[in-house]
Amino acid sequence: MSSDKPVVVIEHLTKRYGNFTALEDLSLTLKAGQILGLIGPNGAGKTTAIKILVGLARPTSGTARIGDADCVADARRIKHLVGYMPDRFGSYDNMRVREYLDFFGAAFGISRQKRIARIDEVMETTGTTYMRDRFVESLSHGMQQRVGVARTLLHDPQVLILDEPANGLDPQARIEMRDLLIRLAKLGKTLIVTSHILSELSRICDHIAILTHGKLRAFGTIEEIGRMVTQRRMIEAQLNSAEKIAAASEIIRRAIETDAEVIPSPEESSIRFRTALSEGQLGDLLTDLVRGGIRVTQFRELQTDLEEAFLSFARPVEPSNPVQSASTVAAAGGVAHG
Amino acid sequence: MVNPLVQRELIGALRQKRMLFLQCGLAAGFALLVIIRWPTDPRMALSGTRSQEVFRLFGYGLLSVLLLLLPVFPATSIVRERNSGTLALLLNTPLGSLRIVLGKLLGVLGLAGLMLVLSLPAASACYALGGISLRENLLGLYSLLVLVVLQLSALGLLVSTYTTTTDAAVRWTYGFVLLSSVLTLGPYQFLQGTESYLAEVGDWLRCASPFASLMSLTGTGDVGAVGLVSTTDVSGRFACISLVLTAIYFLWTVSRLNHTIFDQARDAGVISNDQDFGTQLIRRLVFLVDPQRRSWAIGPFVNPVMVKEFRCRRFGRLHWLLRLIAICAVLSLGLTYATVTGTVDWGVDTIGGIMVLMQVALLVLITPSLASGLISTERESGGWPLLQMTSMSVSRILWGKLLSVLLPLLLVLCATLPGYLVMVYIEPGLKLQVQRVVICLLATAGFAMLLSAAIGSLFRRTAPATAASYAALLAICGAPLLVWLGRDAPFGHDTVEKALLINPVAAALSVIRLSGFRDYQLIPGNWWFLGIGSATCLLVLVVQTRRISRPQ
Repeated sequence: MSSDKPVVVIEHLTKRYGNFTALEDLSLTLKAGQILGLIGPNGAGKTTAIKILVGLARPTSGTARIGDADCVADARRIKHLVGYMPDRFGSYDNMRVREYLDFFGAAFGISRQKRIARIDEVMETTGTTYMRDRFVESLSHGMQQRVGVARTLLHDPQVLILDEPANGLDPQARIEMRDLLIRLAKLGKTLIVTSHILSELSRICDHIAILTHGKLRAFGTIEEIGRMVTQRRMIEAQLNSAEKIAAASEIIRRAIETDAEVIPSPEESSIRFRTALSEGQLGDLLTDLVRGGIRVTQFRELQTDLEEAFLSFARPVEPSNPVQSASTVAAAGGVAHG
Repeated sequence: MVNPLVQRELIGALRQKRMLFLQCGLAAGFALLVIIRWPTDPRMALSGTRSQEVFRLFGYGLLSVLLLLLPVFPATSIVRERNSGTLALLLNTPLGSLRIVLGKLLGVLGLAGLMLVLSLPAASACYALGGISLRENLLGLYSLLVLVVLQLSALGLLVSTYTTTTDAAVRWTYGFVLLSSVLTLGPYQFLQGTESYLAEVGDWLRCASPFASLMSLTGTGDVGAVGLVSTTDVSGRFACISLVLTAIYFLWTVSRLNHTIFDQARDAGVISNDQDFGTQLIRRLVFLVDPQRRSWAIGPFVNPVMVKEFRCRRFGRLHWLLRLIAICAVLSLGLTYATVTGTVDWGVDTIGGIMVLMQVALLVLITPSLASGLISTERESGGWPLLQMTSMSVSRILWGKLLSVLLPLLLVLCATLPGYLVMVYIEPGLKLQVQRVVICLLATAGFAMLLSAAIGSLFRRTAPATAASYAALLAICGAPLLVWLGRDAPFGHDTVEKALLINPVAAALSVIRLSGFRDYQLIPGNWWFLGIGSATCLLVLVVQTRRISRPQ
């Protein structure tokens, strides 16, 4: 449900606390309906970036815009455009879920009649209707997370920024949260989600930004990120039997780069290899295999796992070699636009 | 084998930076108390009166310090462990509840012991002045203080097992401390010299107060004694009451510390609207405003933060306020009625004095509990960024929060107005006095609210914010009364008047011309103090709130 108009535009965003640089030269763009997964190790600058976006922190330099509102100059408008769910729920004692949502609705200036209808609506969307009379402090963590999402939806914001929404959730609650986020994106909301559970992000996000040490190491779709990890794609050829596996390996070795790795697996009757060959060249290789009398049942590219990509980018960067990270991003097309 | 909890509790507390400041501050404070009253006259007073005066002041100071500083440690001890999950781990060890409570108690006693040790140089200085008996005076004082420490520590631990938040634990503990040490003196003040069952009860009640015991020990006489000599062994009775209470609190705490503390189902969120008509009717009659009913959506023209504050604090709910207001109204009218019908031989000034004392005690008790957590609770619970993300301005948020404290305070004060009206009806000449008393009380309420809110806004967590607010307010309302207790000796009229000038309780009592206060001219000086103090606190509150609201 993406439209072409950019909703979130971040340009050269830098934040310094004294000598410490929390965020350096972050640039990225998101369109409506996109889900961005912001990942990085602890202290990578994710929360700083989020705080700047929601107006809770001021950048040292650079700009961030949501819709047509500047995150610094139009702080009041940003509050209406963004729904922010911090990593802490922000519970109030002795308040029922409905009272809790009513308070935040009133705080956003939603009129009483509209608010009553809107609360029912967001509770329906987030599946929290059955807990409307429960006290918020007595809810389980998963329930609180869902009420948190309901709270962010109250004023119908364009952009939802969710800090660790799946943190501490059980598998069932995680699946429900994942479905909820996908549903919200289908409604046209732009989502920025941070998480440490990379498998979750890979399932819901169409874009990923990897931050380490305050710098953007990679940004793009999961496939693009996978290709950034290595310029050579991992290809798997599945054979109908292991009989001709040696012959097949020989044909592959001849076709691909001389230093490329070829891993035959007789147990699985498959051969895996990394190569930078183009699609056409790979087609030729497949033809060679078939002509060589090898019966190939599957010939496919293996996706680079997000965890593999993350680990690749999250490796400690030598301060003396800052070019490494910059070149990595540059190799991937620099500041990718969604 | 050494109880591992003692080490952790004591050393853990001593490692904190604020403990270092506390210790240095205490040592300096005790030294200052002695220096203030150190004789500068080159002549020697053979009677030892001068050294007795110094010792008296030192004793009151030391007791006040213990009452103000100590309760916070045991009060937060168990509830903090419970909330952080370590209490479950402790109960899962072979230590057992007895050793856990004992370990915690010994840890607090260690801290209190340290406070008392810090006071020893000052005590030695008092002793060096001569005129003080080592056994009767010094040993007596420290025995009394040890009993107070034991009682406070056991009480704090017990309260800590019942509360679910640290600030509630601090609030309730300070409430009980105020009740047991100051309010227990009240009945005797008015019933002394009379022959009745009530007078006997009042006599026993005041013996539960460490202040009464200390006064007896230092030979000051009784609180507010109007020339009457008491033959009661106050110190002996205090020792008995204190030891019995300590044992009860301790055993009660041990019995509370087991799996039942965790074995509670989550609140099912029952709503009266979903119950049958009979239940709804009964609840309506009992509560008037049923806290369990489904509440209405926040209306237009109402500050949402104010409504939120009322809804999210248990004590702030309307049914509680109504009860409190009803009690205030009934008590004030009852007191006035008793005087009119001649069943009690009290003058209008005495009735006014009781009403003023009750109102101020109520203000001191409830204001910090309502106001100190206005900002710190939001910061602690993570609600402040959420509030910042709404479209409300900081000033609107602050105004809503202050309103949520101001309205209950005004309602409580208004509830006692009928009593004052009857007083004016009986004696029309009292009209001006009553007007002034009402102004005093309003100024006190405003000052207490702003002081608590300003102090509370400086903290990130509610428990220290509540403790600091109570300590500051009790210091302002209580410390000058210590000087007043030493009126004529060692303090002269001018010194006492200057000290009382900052005290809103004394100002109101002087206006109502209560015995012991009628000789001091505290108005308008006290109003100036409260006015300037309130303005300063408001400024601090606004600046601090804006500071924490600024983008980082």
